[in-house]
Parts: sequence; C-alpha cells; structure tokens
Amino acid sequence: MSDQLKEIIKKQGRKQEVSLSHSDDVVQLVGFIIGEEEYAVPILTIQEIIKPISWTRVPQTPAYILGVFNLRGSVIPLIDLRVKFGLKPKKHNEETRFFVLKQGDDVAGFVIDRLTMALRIKKTDIGAAPDSVAGDDSMIEGVGKQEDRILTILKVNKLLERDF
Amino acid sequence: MDEFQEILQDFLVESFELIEQLDQDLVELESRPEDLELLNGIFRVAHTVKGASSFLNFDVLTHLTHHMEDVLNKARHGDLIIDADIMDVILESIDLMKALLVTIRDTSSDAGIDVDECVIRLDRVSNGTAQAATPVAAPVKPAPVVEKAPVKEEPELDYDAMSDDDVEAEIERLLAQRQEEDKAKRAAKIAAGESVPEAPPEPISEEEAVHKAAPTQAPRPVVATPAPSARAKHEDEDAKAAAPASKTSGSVEQTIRVDVKRLDHLMNLIGELVLAKNRLIKINDDVEERYEGEEFLEELNQVVSIVSLVTTDLQIAVMKTRMLPIGKVFNKFPRMIRDLTRELNKKMELEIAGEDTELDKSIVEEIGDPLVHIIRNSCDHGIEMPAVRLAAGKPETGTITLKAYNEGNAIVIQIDDDGKGLDAEMLKNKSLEKGIITEKEADLMTEKEAFALIFKPGFSTAAAVTSVSGRGVGMDVVKTNIEKLNGIIDIESVVGKGTSLKLKIPLTLAIIQALLVGVQEEHYAIPLASVLETVRISKDEIFSVENRSVLRLRDEVLSLVHIGDIFEVERILDSSEHVYVVVLGLGSSKIGLIVDSLVGQEEIVIKSMGDYLAGIDGIAGATIRGDGGVTLIVDVAALMQMAKGVKSTILLEESSSSVKDKSRASDYTVMIVDDSKTDRMIMRKALESLGVTLVEAGDGQEALNILKQGDKNFDAMLIDIEMPRMDGYTLASEIKKYNRYKNLPLIAVTSRTGKSDRMRGVESGMVEYITKPYSADYLSSVVQRNVNFKAEFL
Repeated sequence: MSDQLKEIIKKQGRKQEVSLSHSDDVVQLVGFIIGEEEYAVPILTIQEIIKPISWTRVPQTPAYILGVFNLRGSVIPLIDLRVKFGLKPKKHNEETRFFVLKQGDDVAGFVIDRLTMALRIKKTDIGAAPDSVAGDDSMIEGVGKQEDRILTILKVNKLLERDF
Repeated sequence: MDEFQEILQDFLVESFELIEQLDQDLVELESRPEDLELLNGIFRVAHTVKGASSFLNFDVLTHLTHHMEDVLNKARHGDLIIDADIMDVILESIDLMKALLVTIRDTSSDAGIDVDECVIRLDRVSNGTAQAATPVAAPVKPAPVVEKAPVKEEPELDYDAMSDDDVEAEIERLLAQRQEEDKAKRAAKIAAGESVPEAPPEPISEEEAVHKAAPTQAPRPVVATPAPSARAKHEDEDAKAAAPASKTSGSVEQTIRVDVKRLDHLMNLIGELVLAKNRLIKINDDVEERYEGEEFLEELNQVVSIVSLVTTDLQIAVMKTRMLPIGKVFNKFPRMIRDLTRELNKKMELEIAGEDTELDKSIVEEIGDPLVHIIRNSCDHGIEMPAVRLAAGKPETGTITLKAYNEGNAIVIQIDDDGKGLDAEMLKNKSLEKGIITEKEADLMTEKEAFALIFKPGFSTAAAVTSVSGRGVGMDVVKTNIEKLNGIIDIESVVGKGTSLKLKIPLTLAIIQALLVGVQEEHYAIPLASVLETVRISKDEIFSVENRSVLRLRDEVLSLVHIGDIFEVERILDSSEHVYVVVLGLGSSKIGLIVDSLVGQEEIVIKSMGDYLAGIDGIAGATIRGDGGVTLIVDVAALMQMAKGVKSTILLEESSSSVKDKSRASDYTVMIVDDSKTDRMIMRKALESLGVTLVEAGDGQEALNILKQGDKNFDAMLIDIEMPRMDGYTLASEIKKYNRYKNLPLIAVTSRTGKSDRMRGVESGMVEYITKPYSADYLSSVVQRNVNFKAEFL
C-alpha cells in the first residue's frame, strides 16, 4: 500500500517537474464563445467569472456598454462583447456569464455567450494576428492553434481601455 | 536619518502653524504699531524659526530669518517705527520664508530660492531707519553694531567644527530656549487674558536680551532660574483661572496628529457601513411585511434601529475628525486686503466673523481660491475710491465683511461689501457688447439672472485689465469651483449700497443626502443640497415657449426639462396626468426637472464608476442602494448645461407603433394566463383550430415578465382572475401602464360572475368578460372579434 502511495507521489512529482520545466513557454488561457467564434484571455487577467446579475443602464454611452453593476460593493462597468464585436445583442440565458477582467486599477465586466474551458497552450502554437487586423489599435493579441480549433487571444488592456 | 526626519517634520509642522498666525498679527501690527505684545509675538516666531533652522542646517532660511529678526528686534526696542513701507519689506520676507519652508518640505533642502535681494532690503530698513530715527546720535555705527554683533554669532556657528560636548551644549541651549519661549508665550497669554500688570512681558524681553548677549556660554543658569518661577506661576494661574479660561483654553486642549490618509480610509469604511445599514433597513422592511405581527419582529426592529442610530452617530463623529475651522482659509485675507489697499489706493477694512465654523478638510482646500477671487473682485469693482465714497456720503473706508455660519446641513459663507453694488442694466449691456447673451435673453432677464452674468466666462466690467482683476476669468472659476462642491451661489445687490454674495456649501462630500426619483423603471439620485423644492403639477400647467417647456411657479417662470430626455430613457410606461417637478438650484441658476415619481430621501455614499466610465455627461457617480442595485447620481451642474440643448418632448404623444400586416393566421399571437393547467388546455383547444400562435403563462407575474421582454407582439390576452402571485385585476392594471399595450384587448375568463367582479374587470381595463363554463365556439368568436381576425384565414 505504502509502496503504491510512494509510487503515486513520485509520479505526481515528476509530472509537476515536467509542467514546471515547460511553464516558461506555456500560456494559460480561458476560452469563451461570442457568436460563433472562440476567444481567449490569459487566466491571470480574470478576477472572477459570475452568473449574470442585474445592472443599471448608464446614459450617454455607446450601445455596447450595458451599464454598471455592483460587485461586492464596487461599481463596475458592464460591456457586452457581442455588441462590441458587431453582433446583434442576445438575451441572456443559462450559459451567459460575466467575465470580470482586471489589469492594474482597471476593472470591467464583459458579457460572453458561453464559457468553454481553461487551457494551456504552447507559445509556439500562438501565431501573430493576421496583418489586416494587427497593430496597436487591434484588440487581437494573437491566434492560438490547438488540435482542431483556432482561438483568438484578446488584448486585455485594449478591452479595458475606454474608446469613446 | 530617521531621527532627523522626525525632527524636521516637527519643525515644519510647527513653523507652518506659527506662520499662519503671523500674517494676521502683522496686519494688525500695522494699525497698532505701538503694541509691544504683538511685536514680541512676531519677533518670537522669526526667532524660533531661525533657531530651529540653524540647528537643522538650513543656511538660507537662517540667513533670511536672522535679518528679519534684526528688523523686528529694532522695532521691539522702539528704534524703528513700523510704517507701511517697512511692513511691505517684512511681509515680503515672510512670503520668502514661507516659500523656503515649502521647498524644505518638498525637497528637504532650502536651496534654490534667492533671498539676497530681500535681505539687502531688510538691512536697508534696519540701517536706514535707524539713521533716520536717531539723527542726532553720533555715528551711525553704534546702534546696528550693538544690535547685530551678538546675533550674528549665532547662525555663523560651525557645528561641524564643534566638539561633541559643545554640540550637546548647543542643543541644550536651543531646547531650553524653546521651552522658555513657550513659557513666555503662555505667560503672555495669561497676561493678555487677565491683564496682570505689565510685569510679565518686561522680564521676558530682558531675559531674552541677556540670553542673546551670552549665546554659547553658560546658557543654562540663565534659563534655569526663571523657569521654575514661570512655570509655578503659570500653573498657579491655571488652577485659579480655570473658570475664565476663555483665553487659555488653547493650551489645555489635547490633540493628536493623524495622517489624513487614515481618516480617508476610515471615511471609506464608514461609507461601506452606511450602505450596509441602508440594506439592513430595507431587509427589515421586507421581513416586517412578510411576517407581520410576529414577536421576533420587535426585537429585530430594535436592533436595526440601534445599528442605524449608531452608524449615523459614527458617521458624524468621523466626519467631525475631518473638520477644520474655516479660519484656516480666512486667515490669509487680512493680509490680502492690506496688499490690495496699497495696490489700488483705496481704503478698505476686512471684518471677519464665524471663523470657528467647521467644514470638511477637502472643502476647506477647495474653497480658498473662489474666496480669493470674490474678495479681490469686491475690492476692485465693489469698493469705490475714497473720494467717490466721500462724495456719495459714505465713510471713506470701505468695509468688506466675511462671515461663515451653519445653516441646516450646509455652511454659508457670506461676503458683503458696502461698495457701489451691481447695476443690472449695465451688466446686461456689457454682456450684449461681448456677445455673451442675445438681445432677447437680455429683455427676459430678471435682476438676479443679470447679476449672475458676472459668472459667465469672458465677462468683465473692469474698464482696464489690472493685475487685480479684469481678465474675466476669476468669477468663472468661482462658479466652477462652487458647483464642484455642489454649492449654491446667491447674489443680492443694491446699486450704491453694496453687494452680498452667499455661498452655500454642503458640509461633506463623501456621504450625502439625496432625493431619489424615478423615471419609467429607472431610479436616479439627486444631491439634496441642489434640490430647492418639489411640486406636483398637472400636465395642463406646462406651457411651451419657443420649443421649450416652462412652468409658472408662483411668481417665477421656470424652464422645465424631462429627466427622460436627458438620460435617453425609453418611454415604455404610460405617464399619468400628473408629473412631479424637482426644482433644482445650483450656483445662481434654477431649473425644473420633470420626473415620473419621487421615491424618497436617502443617505447615499458616492462611488466612482472607475476610469472607464469617468466623465459621463450628467452623471456624477454611482451609489449602491439597500437592495444591492446601483443607482446613478445626477451631476446637477452638467444636467443644467445639457438641459439647454434638449427640446421639449413632454407634450408629444408617442405615435402608436405601426401595426404589421397579418399575412397568416399564425401572425396573430394570443396569450393565455391561467394558473390551472386544465383551463389553459381547454382554451388552447378552443383556439388551436384558428391557427393563431398561443403563449401560456401560469400567473400574472409570469405574464407581465413575458410582456416586458417584448419578444412578441400580442394581439389579445385571455386572463383568469384568481391566480397566485398576481391576480387578473392587478395584471390588467399593470399592463395598462405601458404605452405599448394601451390598446391590447384583455379578455377576462373567470368563474366569478358577480356584478361587482365585472365592474372591477372594466375598471382595471378588461374589454370582455367571459364566465366559465363557456363553449369553445363562443371563446373563439370573442377572440376573433377582438383581434380583428381576417375571415380569409379561417
């Protein structure tokens, strides 16, 4: 019994070593769906993911800003990524989530259609954004390839930047 | 190094406190140059700063204060009469001293400010007048030499070259000197308060003279002897004079210095607590409603009210710790008036009252600039030249009164002058000239509105731009700053008599009282400080003038704007015959804001919406309400600005949404609302044959939610009367509140057959009343009739 246990522990240790040695060139992302496309943001930029709660509309703002909501005493802006990406707004359903992203002092909530999964992706599997959308103004950090799918990795600082 | 920093910190705090008092004393001194007590006090400040700065190796500061001390010392001994010119030099040197202290605070060094010029002038004063004052005295030398020689030694001490013992001795000496001065001050205070015969001041000055004559040698014995006696005396006095302690109270108060950041943090925490309290009260109300009559309620009630009471007290207590007397700001004005008197060649006096009135530190910091502008304005434009005043039968010296007092939850700062007053006609003409207003606007203006023109950017009545005013910037700044504080400005003026300006400012900024208003389904919070009154009016009372809505309120014509037009609120709910008007006042302008409902008054905590949503027009911030929802706070100043661009839509009725042509039977949609599944099934069966689309809801609430979502356009609704959660009557009247569903046919399907039931049905807006049981054909025909079902689809 104890031998088995030791074996398991040893295995785990080895696994950890392996993942550690690779941690430099692996990026951890969380994927989500908006419309038909899959997008991802680095896991460390996510403060939390919550189920939709009520929000308050803020006048004089672009359509993609739904308003503000109360996250444990802080007033946080809520942005509908569907509208921001030029899609029609959709009624929130069971799968809708608010992604609360944080970078420095900037915090905002983003409405996404559906969560997919947390994933690790090798840096070598991330390609640059296509030329047509690359550049400083682009919201796209790069394009990740994994097995059979492609996901667009978003620049969190661009998402959190006010652009109106 | 840390120790040095600590000493430095103490030094700075003390110096700034001393200087604050100094300005006022100096101005007073000019009017009473023979006041030895005052002079001594001023001298001591210069002396203390010099002593400490030389100890801390601030050579430039020492150099300057040393020369100041020189001049003051002479004046103290009567060798020099302080006149306005000398005072100018002294004041200039004090300004330099302040600048140096600020530099020291920021950089921990006093380099970078050139004091030589000022020092030369100080020297000239001290020498020159010494000459003039004692023209008979033989050579010029003796006096200055006597005065200077001993003092010069002091700053020139080279501490580096001193032995440890000597340094120790020097420190001892400086400390002792400081203590002694404190004592002297106390003694002086007592003397002033109790008018003990002139004895105390005399020995002190002598003592100091002795002290100076023997700076480094044997300082201790000199200090030691008078110390006990002075202290004993002081304590004695203290014990005896406990009752008439009005003058000595300052020394008895115990204080502790606290970092402002800690207070801010405390204030934030209290803010959270207030929000939690609001929430608790809300929950308590809900619980009360649900468990009416239960015993535990009383206990809960008690706890909630205690928590709410203590929270309020706590909030006030913390607010008080942030309060500063407005005297901090007022103190600099006597000096300013004095400078302006000289600059403008007018005769003016400043009277200050209520300088003990307290208000929040952040407001004290903001209020200084506006007051400077207002007072400069009063001096330059208000008060006339002495000759003109005499000709008008007024006293030659103009008076400006500055007073502060509390009024409710606000503080009022009033600035009065007895100058020439504002001439409404003249103001209008000037504004017309500068193109600030149009002729039409000028005609419609009331006197008060004309007075308010002085706050317009670019407006100036001064014929020429002087260094004091006339650029047309100042009063604009006043308005902006006061509005930033949610304050109100009120001007009163009589031509030839004077002008009175009132600034009404809320006591604190972080937690405010707000009026919550509702528009459609949204709520907004309006700072109560800006709300003058609320009125309920019928729509007939609203008139339209040049595309703008106005209301005649008593003797005034108030322009109106609908909050929904400003905040782009969709009009879903039908508004009733009556509306509420919230009369907002800010600065000197007024406007009526139309809202659908008044929710109530609540204490709210202002929260920022972060950088992402900062600076949204018309929104000052957000707050979290008792139910956990977010409510936006209206920025009244911005709202008034926005109101100008909004056209009136209040009277415009919404055009009914175009009815889509029905091309199929399934284009008709009918909702069935019944709590019984069987009943729903029966109705479904009866209508299915028509081919119309059917939607079911289990109760009134569910039906209302479906309608609110607005996914489908319903052509008719079949409603059962008795249902859980929301019954049929309530549902019908709720539906009728929506503009969109005003004409939606509601058909009651019920087993209630009484006449009164039918009446209630009609009252709540039902068009048909079908009693159970009914035949399928009958139901079908009623529905067909009500939805204008086209026969060809059958």
